[in-house]
Amino acid sequence: MSSVLRRFLGPRAVVLPFAIVLAFPFYWMVVTAFKKTTELYDLSSVPFWWHDGVTLSNIRDLFEHTPYVTWLENTALVGVIVVAITLVVALPAGYALARLSGGWGQTMGVGIFLTYLVPPTLLFLPLSRVISDLHLSNSLGSLILVYPSFTIPFSTWLLMGFFKTIPPELEDAALIDGCSRIQALIRIVFPISLPGILTVVIFSFSLVVNEFIYAITFISSSHNRTLSAGVPTDLIRGDLVLWGGVMAATLIPSIPLALLYNAFLNRFIAGFTGGAFR
Amino acid sequence: MTERKLTRKELVKRAGVGAAAVGLGGTAGLEKAFAFAGPHKYTHKDLKYSLSILQWVHFVPAYDTWLDNTYIKVWGQKNDCDVTIDHINNTELAARAAAEVAAQSGHDLFMFLNPRADLEDQVIDHAPIVQEVNHRLKSKMNNLALKSTYNPKTKKFFGFSDGYVPDPVVWRHDLWNDVGESPATWDHVLKAAPKLKANGHPIGIGMSNELDSNMANIALMQCFGSYIQNAKHQPVINSKNTVNVLNYMKQLYTTGMTNEIFGWNPASNNTYLYSGKGSLILNAISATRTPEQLGLPFSDDLWIWPIPAGPVQRLGLEHVMGVFVIWKFAKQKQLAMKYLADMEVFYKGHFLNSQFYNFPSWPKAVPNIGKYLAKDTHKPHGKYTILGRIAQRYTANLGYPGYTNAAVSEIFNTSLIPSMFASVAQGKSTAQDAAAAAQAQFNTIYKKWRDAGKM
Repeated sequence: MSSVLRRFLGPRAVVLPFAIVLAFPFYWMVVTAFKKTTELYDLSSVPFWWHDGVTLSNIRDLFEHTPYVTWLENTALVGVIVVAITLVVALPAGYALARLSGGWGQTMGVGIFLTYLVPPTLLFLPLSRVISDLHLSNSLGSLILVYPSFTIPFSTWLLMGFFKTIPPELEDAALIDGCSRIQALIRIVFPISLPGILTVVIFSFSLVVNEFIYAITFISSSHNRTLSAGVPTDLIRGDLVLWGGVMAATLIPSIPLALLYNAFLNRFIAGFTGGAFR
Repeated sequence: MTERKLTRKELVKRAGVGAAAVGLGGTAGLEKAFAFAGPHKYTHKDLKYSLSILQWVHFVPAYDTWLDNTYIKVWGQKNDCDVTIDHINNTELAARAAAEVAAQSGHDLFMFLNPRADLEDQVIDHAPIVQEVNHRLKSKMNNLALKSTYNPKTKKFFGFSDGYVPDPVVWRHDLWNDVGESPATWDHVLKAAPKLKANGHPIGIGMSNELDSNMANIALMQCFGSYIQNAKHQPVINSKNTVNVLNYMKQLYTTGMTNEIFGWNPASNNTYLYSGKGSLILNAISATRTPEQLGLPFSDDLWIWPIPAGPVQRLGLEHVMGVFVIWKFAKQKQLAMKYLADMEVFYKGHFLNSQFYNFPSWPKAVPNIGKYLAKDTHKPHGKYTILGRIAQRYTANLGYPGYTNAAVSEIFNTSLIPSMFASVAQGKSTAQDAAAAAQAQFNTIYKKWRDAGKM
């Protein structure tokens, strides 16, 4: 075998099994989303393909008989606002901890990260009282208020590590050239930090899309729900799971997210590993 | 133009007519009934009151459609009230209730699927609703509902049970026929299980931290004469009968089930059956209704029987106990009470639209229930007739032979019984050790609630 062929096949042979394992859930979602319900329960048919033909009924039911579009809109709205809040708070916080707080910065950074580790299953009870007192029950405002409590700590810690990889000499030069600290941040530091910022955006948005406990306990009406609460509530009817609908409902938002990850994959990796060697 | 104020008497009268119409079941007849009541006084006007209800996503989807789109709209209009029902999955009810209690704010009515005596301090005394229904139906609630919602120590109704769901054994007649058996007794089940499993159709009885496993395991215990507590509300789990039932279940698991039952969830019973794999489950009739609707090939072979008889008796549990509570912090207590009373008095619509899933806690609320059950046209004909007998004879309350109390609620909600079963079935402990360990846990729980003055 020529060395060219080896170089071509070698990496692919290593990657292929992982790719199959990771892509399989998506494949399964696609197959199930377009499969007839009766075929889903037919154990005699091979489950990896369509035998009775494809159907759009699961998709149609989703859009016609559930407030799925509203869930998508709610999720997008909450996601965008939470990401914006997270950036506004975490960017200066991460920078300050990396540059301005000396030896305390690292300790505080770890301390802030630890707050991220407190599970929502413990926090939702006291937070329920807060939400009620603020008259935010059953409104998207409750989620917009609460979600930054876990996106900001993680993002601050992540950005802190990333800012440390940027040579301070760049800012010093900007300051000498007459920039203020804020100007140096906006003109020099943030553009260089784009991979880190993108990581925060994608990661925070993913956290918001996946969050379940707060979404199910703070929101009670179907039309105010986000995807993570709406799908299991309206499509899992106690002991009857509408598999086709569930798969269609999870497949649809996963496509743009997958494309987003793919488009910014290199920057995403750079963002996560940026502070790893400091 | 001044709007004439509606007197309370008139309100009750009109509500009665409205509820009677809804009680007819479905939309059929509604228009006629309300024509009798006169034109809608509040049509196109803002309704004066609002009533919020939180309850589960019903296992029979058609019921929620009727409830949300017909029943509450008609009832609300007649009571000058905008009724909203928020549905959540049954597995999220406990978390949601905890959040509402923590916030001291939430829905006016909250429906649980099992009695929550442990929340007694958070709810009003529901006795006036019980008395109202007793008066209007000229009869009393059945013993199951009484023992599920009343605390004899504090003399308080900590909930209002509108109805309950019988828990039959659902089995594939064709598969059992192949092995020449039927699930008449638990001995028969044990004999048939290895053959069924060998044919690729195991038994499916959960041993997991969820509602169905709890119900099935406790029902099995009762058949063997094993109980959580005695009639004096003393924990008696550590008994010879408990050891027997644990050993039985271990044998049944080893010979006739798969390890899927340790990851059971409320959907698993049905999924197991629908896949064509399961040969027997303990579940409400949603397990048969869905195959009928989907036209699954074996739907005519799904038979419903009472729980198999054990060495001591044949006695199951309700599969779901509908228990509404009105929080002390609810804003519309009076309206909520009226909603519940009307619901019970005109329960026929709930019974029919749930496709016989919801049985009334006041038997007289749906007279001649057997007549409706017998009319069902699905094959085998008359298969639902047995439900009436199961509901009356073979359905006990949680905590039988005592009342459902706070300790029993805690044991149920923390799934200590399925954990005990699983630990023996998986060989992690012997039946004797598991029963003794459960007794120690129960003693602590009972002491806590006795010290709190709740039992």
